[in-house]
Amino acid sequence: MNISLCNRQLSPLQRRSMQLFGANLVFTAVLSLTTRDLFKDGHVSAPLLYLMALLPTIPVVGIVATVARYLARETDEFIRALVVQSLLWGLGITFAVDTYLGGLFAHPQIFRLIPILNIDLFCVSVGVAVRIQLWRNR
Amino acid sequence: MNNRLRVLRAERGWSQADLAARLQVSRQSVNAIETGRFDPSLPLAFKLARLFSTPIEQIFTDEA
Repeated sequence: MNISLCNRQLSPLQRRSMQLFGANLVFTAVLSLTTRDLFKDGHVSAPLLYLMALLPTIPVVGIVATVARYLARETDEFIRALVVQSLLWGLGITFAVDTYLGGLFAHPQIFRLIPILNIDLFCVSVGVAVRIQLWRNR
Repeated sequence: MNNRLRVLRAERGWSQADLAARLQVSRQSVNAIETGRFDPSLPLAFKLARLFSTPIEQIFTDEA
């Protein structure tokens, strides 16, 4: 049985989860940036504004559902434990970076170069954490 | 928790990958259990005991 996230021998569940994870990640970024651009004009009515602001949350819920589905179906308890640890690392990194940038961007002279999405930061952090965990336990 | 997994596996001439395939887990899981970095759940411990035809307490021993 090939259950290993550190090489290309992914189980069907892992492959499917990675695909869903990636698709939701891209979808979140696209929807967030699109709605942000639309709101720049300021010509959006209030009901539409609230409705459109909800759009980027759909793939975020999708990411959470994908992770929950994976954890519920993963039969390898060690890999499951590694993924849970990586999720905690991802949360920690996201909170830390968000707090740091929040403080930094509060200063009027600091220019916001790029919009950084917390969910993207979280997903990338989790991905890196999984890689490091698997490398340590190779 | 200490365990004799490496010894039991070596007695049968199995690689970590062989044991992982028999247990239907990843090779990393077997390696982590052998090196004491991960304690298996009761179902997996029972599976190991059945596989080696040995009581659980002869595979895993308390460090205390």
